[in-house]
Amino acid sequence: MDFELILGIGRFLLATTLLLLLTVPTAFVIIQMEMKIIAQMNLRFGPNRVGPRGIFQSTIHGFKVLAKEDTIPDQADRGTFTLAPWMVYMAAAMSMLVIPFAPGAVAANFNIGIVYFFAVLGLSVVGLLVAGWASYNKYSLLGGLRSAAQMVSYEIPLTLSIVGAVVLAGTLNFSELIAWQRENVWLFIAQPVGVGIFYISSLAEVNRTPFDMVEADSELVAGPFTEYSGMRFGFFFFAEYVALFIMSGILVSLFFGGWLAPWPFPAQLDGFGGTLYGIFWFFLKTYIFVFIAVWLRATLPRVRVDQLMGMAWKVLLPLALVNLFITAIVVVVLDL
Amino acid sequence: MANLRRPRSAAHSLGRRRALTAPVAAGALVRLLTERFGSDLRDLWTDEDTVEFQTDASRAHDQLRTLRDDPDLAFFMLADAAAVDYGTGTRFEVVYHLFSWKHPGWLRLRVHVDRSDPRIATITDLWEGAMFHEREMYDMMGIVFEGNRDLRRIYMSPDYRSFPHRKDFVLPDDAADSPAAGVNPLERPETWDLTRFNQAPDITFPTSELRDDAPAEAVEDGATRADTGRPR
Amino acid sequence: MTKIDPETRIPDPIELDRIEEDRLRAVAGLAPVRAEGGEYAGFDQVGLPDRPPQTDREREIYTLGEGEMLVNMGPQHPSTHGVMRLVVKVRGEIIVDIDPVLGYLHRGIEKLCENATYTTVLTYVDPMDYLATMNNEHAPAIAFEKLYGIQPPKRAEYIRALVVELERVSSHGLMMGFLALDMGGITPILYAFINRDEIVDLLSAISGQRMLFNFFRVGGVNFDTNDEFLSRLGTWRGRVLKNIEMNERLITDNEIFRSRTIDMGTLTGRDAISLGVTGPNLRASGVPFDVRKAQPYSIYNELEFDVITQTGGDSYARYLQRIAEIKQSIHLIDQIIDKMPHGPVQAQVPGIIRPKPGRAYAAIESPRGLYSVYAISDGGPNPYRFRMRDPSFISLQAMPKLMPGRLVADTMAIMASLDPVMGGVDK
Repeated sequence: MDFELILGIGRFLLATTLLLLLTVPTAFVIIQMEMKIIAQMNLRFGPNRVGPRGIFQSTIHGFKVLAKEDTIPDQADRGTFTLAPWMVYMAAAMSMLVIPFAPGAVAANFNIGIVYFFAVLGLSVVGLLVAGWASYNKYSLLGGLRSAAQMVSYEIPLTLSIVGAVVLAGTLNFSELIAWQRENVWLFIAQPVGVGIFYISSLAEVNRTPFDMVEADSELVAGPFTEYSGMRFGFFFFAEYVALFIMSGILVSLFFGGWLAPWPFPAQLDGFGGTLYGIFWFFLKTYIFVFIAVWLRATLPRVRVDQLMGMAWKVLLPLALVNLFITAIVVVVLDL
Repeated sequence: MANLRRPRSAAHSLGRRRALTAPVAAGALVRLLTERFGSDLRDLWTDEDTVEFQTDASRAHDQLRTLRDDPDLAFFMLADAAAVDYGTGTRFEVVYHLFSWKHPGWLRLRVHVDRSDPRIATITDLWEGAMFHEREMYDMMGIVFEGNRDLRRIYMSPDYRSFPHRKDFVLPDDAADSPAAGVNPLERPETWDLTRFNQAPDITFPTSELRDDAPAEAVEDGATRADTGRPR
Repeated sequence: MTKIDPETRIPDPIELDRIEEDRLRAVAGLAPVRAEGGEYAGFDQVGLPDRPPQTDREREIYTLGEGEMLVNMGPQHPSTHGVMRLVVKVRGEIIVDIDPVLGYLHRGIEKLCENATYTTVLTYVDPMDYLATMNNEHAPAIAFEKLYGIQPPKRAEYIRALVVELERVSSHGLMMGFLALDMGGITPILYAFINRDEIVDLLSAISGQRMLFNFFRVGGVNFDTNDEFLSRLGTWRGRVLKNIEMNERLITDNEIFRSRTIDMGTLTGRDAISLGVTGPNLRASGVPFDVRKAQPYSIYNELEFDVITQTGGDSYARYLQRIAEIKQSIHLIDQIIDKMPHGPVQAQVPGIIRPKPGRAYAAIESPRGLYSVYAISDGGPNPYRFRMRDPSFISLQAMPKLMPGRLVADTMAIMASLDPVMGGVDK
C-alpha cells in the first residue's frame, strides 16, 4: 500500500473527527453567547446560576436534551423520521470540510471548494422537507415546505453574491482565494454589495431572525420540528447554530481574509505558530459575525413570509446579478 | 368635615321623576325629543349629565334609528347597551346610552321588554358593534334579539341552559336554592359517585406530632423550626 | 419496551370526560349532551363545534368552501393578550373569516357585585383590565358618587387623575412592547417593562399594592401621597421620556416593523364608530372622540390638553397614537403635580353606603377606550345592577372586519395593535 495514501486517509479521518468534535462545543458556545448577549441587550441578566456567571448553562441544556423522552408519532414513518435530523446535521458537518481554519489546516483542500460548499449546504433543505413529511402532521408538512421554499429561494442570491469575489480572485479554491486576499486587498472592500447580499442571504439560509418565521414561537405552527423531541430536536437545533458558525466562517474566508490578520499585524506567520496564529484570527473574525447575528436577533422583529420571499427574488437576486455584471466588466476592462 | 354634598339639589331627586326643569343646556334636546317622538316619549327625566326616557320594545328600534339619523339629534355613538332584570313577574329593561356632539350629556333610552317573552328587535343594523352587546345580553339575561344574525352565547359554553344575570339565578354556591339549579349534573349531589373513593389507596400523611411512634423533632433551646430546616 | 397493540384504543381524556358527563346525565335523567349526526361529526375536524350551527353567522363561518381549512389559535397563546380562542378559516395562508370564542376568563364580576357592598365592588372590579387597574375602579367610583350624591374632595380628584394618567403611560408603553413581541422583536417588551416596573413601584408607594390596587373609595381615595411616593415620582419623571424614547427608537423607524404595520388592519372612522371602537383605536382612525373632552369628568376640565388623532387608521397609526398619548399623559401629569391642592383625600362616607334608589352612568377614558359603568341602586347596601362596558370587548369586534384578506402571520400583529386585554373582554 502506498504510504502516502494511508497517511492521507489517516489525516482525513483525523480532520473529520476533529471537525465533528468541533461542532458540539461550537453550538454550545454560540447558544451561551446568544443567551447572555441578548439578555444584556434586554437589560437583564442571562442565566447566571450554572457555573461561574452561568457559563455552563448551554452545556447543561445539551445534557437535558439528551435526557428527554424520545417520542415518535404513531403513524409517522420511523425510518425517514429518524433520518431527517441526520441529514440536516450531515449537511452542516460535510460543509465544514472545506472551511480554511489556518494555512494548511483545511480538512479537504478541493480545487472546487466553493462549489462543493454550496452544493452540500443544499442538502439541509432535503432534511427539512423529510422532517416535515415524516411527521405525519399537516402543520409540520406546511412548515417544512415553507422552510424549504425559503432556503431554496435564498440560495440563489447567496451563490450569486460570491461569484463576483470568485471572478476577481480567479479561483474556486478557498486557500488560494485567501492567498489572493493576502496579495491584494481583502475582498469586502472590492465587493461591498456582495458582502451585504451574502450576509443577508446567509441569515435567511440558517433561519435566523429576522428571517425565522418558520420556527417562530409566536406563530401558528411550530414548523417542521413540531413532532421532534429530545435529542432528535437537539440535532436540528445544533445544526442550526453550527450552520450559523459555518456561514460566518465562509463569509470571513471569502470576504474578510480568512485566517489573515488585519493591517497592523503580520498577515501570516510560519510553522506551527503560524497555524495557531491563523486559527486565532479566523475564530475571532467568525465570532464577530456570529455576534452580529445574535445582535440582529435581539433587535429586529420578524419579516413576514411573503415579504421574505419577495425580498429574495425581487431585491437580492437582481442586485447580485448587477453586482456580477459590474464586476465582470471591471475585470475585463482593467484586465485584472 | 366640610359639606361635600353636591351643590345642586340633584342628590335628592335621583330616582324620582322630576318635572322638566332640566338644565338649560339640555333644553334643546328635550324640545327636539318631544318634537320627534311626541307621545312615544314616556317618563322623560333629566339629570345634570343625562337625559333619559323610556319606551317599549316595539318602538325602540325606530326611535334609535331616528336618534342616529336625524341631523339635529345626531346620536352617532352607541356607548353602552345593558340589560336589567327587575325580578320575576316584572319586566326586563334594555338600556341604551348614546352620545352626540350636538347635545351635552348622555342620552339614556330604557326599553321595556316583557319578561315572560323577552324579545326585541336587534340594532345591529344600526350599529355593528351592538353584536357583542346583544350576544352578551342574550347569554346573561336571555333576551332574544330578533334579526340578530349571530345570537349565540358568548361567555358561557354553548350548551349552557341558564341565564346567569337573572334575579332568580343564584350563584352556584347556592345552586341548590336556584330554580335553575343543576343544569350541570355536577351541581346535583345525587349524581355524585362517591363509591369511587372506596377504591382510593389508603394513604395518610401524619405529621410527626400525631405519630405516636416517632417523637417530635427535638429542637434546641431558642431554636425555631426554621433553624432546623434544610439549608437554602 | 412492551409493544402496545395498536388496535387497543386508549380513550382520549376528552372522551373520558364526555363519558363521565353522559353517565352523570343519565343518572340525573337528562339526555346526553352530544347531538347526533349532522354534517358536523364531532371533533374530527378541528375547530368545528360538535353540534349543528345555531345561527346564520355560525353557518357562514363553519361551512368550508373549496380549499378552506379551520385553524384554531387556541386559548393558550404565546402572545400575551390573555386566554382567547380564535377560530380562523384560512385558504392557504390567507384568512377568509375569523370567529373569536370568548369566555375563558369569565368570572361573573357583574353578578358577583350584586352581592357586595359598594366599597367591596371597587375591589372586585380591579382584575378586569389588569394592565390599567385604576381605571377599572375610577368609573364605578364616579357612578357610586353620583348615586350617593357626593363629590370627592378636590385633592382626591387630582390624585385620582394622577394615578390614572400614570396607568395610561404604563399601559400604552406595554402595548408598544407587545406589538413588537408579537412580531418577533424580543427587546422592546423588556424595555416597556422597565417603565412599567418603575410606575408600579411608584403606585405601590401610594397604595400598597403593585397591581390590583384597591385604591379608590366612594368619595375619594384611600391614602394620601407620601414622601416615598413623591420622591419616586420625581425620579420616574426624570427618566420616563428617555425610557420611552429608548424603546421608540427600536421600533418606530424600523423598516421591518413599518412594513408589517403600515396599511395593515386599516379601520376607517365610520367603521370604527359603527363597530363601537373607542379610545386610541378610534382616534387613530381620525375621529377626535376622547371622553375626557367630550364628557369631562373628574378634573379634566381644569387641565389643558388637546385631542390627538392620526390619519390612516392602520396598525402603525394606532401605534403612533399611543406614543403620542404617552407624551400627552406625561404633560397632564406635570400639570396635575403643579395644580394639586391641599385638602382631605376622602369624603366622610360610612363604610356601607346606602344610596337612594336611582340610576347613574359614568364613563371614563381608559387606555383602551370608553369604559363606563351603569349602576342602579335600590336603597340597599348592594347595588341592584352593576353593569360595566369594557372597551376591549367591543373593540374585539373589529377583528372579523379587519382580518379577512390578510395573512395568518398578521393576526397577532393586528390584534396587538388593537390592544385588547382579556380580563376586560371576559369580565
